[in-house]
Amino acid sequence: MDLPIKISKDSREPIYHQIVNQFKALIAGGHLARGTPLPSIRALSKDLEISIITTRRAYQDLEVQGFIKTLQGKGTFVADISEDLKEEVKVTSVHNILENAVETALSYDYTLEQVKAIFLEILQAKEKGDS
Amino acid sequence: MDPLLYIENLEKDVDDFHLGPVNLTIEPGTITALIGNNGSGKSTLLKLIMNLAQPEMGNIKVNNLLVHGNNESWKKLIAYQPQTIIGWDPFTGNALKEMIAPLYPNWDETLFQKMVDLFNIPLHKKFGKLSQGVQQKLNLALTIPRNTPLLILDEPTSYMDIPSKKILIDLLVDWMEAGDRSIIIASHQIDDIRKLSDYLFVLHDGEVIGHFEKEELMERYARYWISEPLPEAPIPGEVSREGNVLLSENPEATESYLEANNTRWNNRSSLEMDDVITLLLNTTTTL
Repeated sequence: MDLPIKISKDSREPIYHQIVNQFKALIAGGHLARGTPLPSIRALSKDLEISIITTRRAYQDLEVQGFIKTLQGKGTFVADISEDLKEEVKVTSVHNILENAVETALSYDYTLEQVKAIFLEILQAKEKGDS
Repeated sequence: MDPLLYIENLEKDVDDFHLGPVNLTIEPGTITALIGNNGSGKSTLLKLIMNLAQPEMGNIKVNNLLVHGNNESWKKLIAYQPQTIIGWDPFTGNALKEMIAPLYPNWDETLFQKMVDLFNIPLHKKFGKLSQGVQQKLNLALTIPRNTPLLILDEPTSYMDIPSKKILIDLLVDWMEAGDRSIIIASHQIDDIRKLSDYLFVLHDGEVIGHFEKEELMERYARYWISEPLPEAPIPGEVSREGNVLLSENPEATESYLEANNTRWNNRSSLEMDDVITLLLNTTTTL
């Protein structure tokens, strides 16, 4: 199975962490429904060009957090997660993306006031586009 | 779990070439790429594991059995594909299979047939009449289906076409799904290393450079684009610099130095696998 998971080797975020977060987003966003079989650790390692040590760590993390479950001899599947947890993941992922955008702006020497102005500009454009 | 393969203080002299000391442990369920320059001792190491050469020093154990001892039952635990095979030329693929399959209790006839189909191997032709690429394909089809706990491949794809190399990678990924099998693959193919390996065992002119977990190795290096002037003297972690690009083999040390000196970097990127291997095998090269 091909999954829309892309890891960035240049990122400061550890690779296993990137995998965990992208799986969570796919599951919370409903792109991976409950019961969907996931690739084996070896197959995902090949696709992402990483070692099974990293992939196993990501799967273990996801399992501990309740997003996936492993059935002995059958494979790994998307778990049944609560609406609360889905909501939490969505909020966190939007928060993280906005935070990253602000960090990028600051690294280009923008002031917080300027960032705020850009952000409002984008919101206004959206409002106009929707009406 | 007990290691599948355990190598301790192994040393070997061949004329004026010296290999070792080699210490290496292979755990079940892992793929290790054996990397080295030409003549670095990769094939010699594999021959020593197969007891095809005698070491000057050290021990090799497969499943806790010494390979240089009297008990040869460890041979059933390893399938080994050497670079060149002597004695197969007069036999057809069919004849070779009839000789080899009965020796291995776990021989997988379905996998053999699947490989023959995927690689389009003519089994009725004599081995010696096949092209080098087809010889490698037949050799693989006669090796992988032995389904031994340890599979050792010595540059298995050097003559194979690109689609066949991809097929082999997928076959090996499938083969590993059994869970407790391991592969050691000596290879110069960057795709084998990227897509298959968990660990890299690196040799240079007979000397062990290191045994690395793939991501750990990749994280050891980083490239920085720095717009501000740098001091003339090398800074911590520096391997080389060219214009405003700095290459570091210790990103943590480099970054803490740059931060302490209020030097900012515009961009940071990781290296490609082939660059990392080039650095490991030739420390005088600049990238």
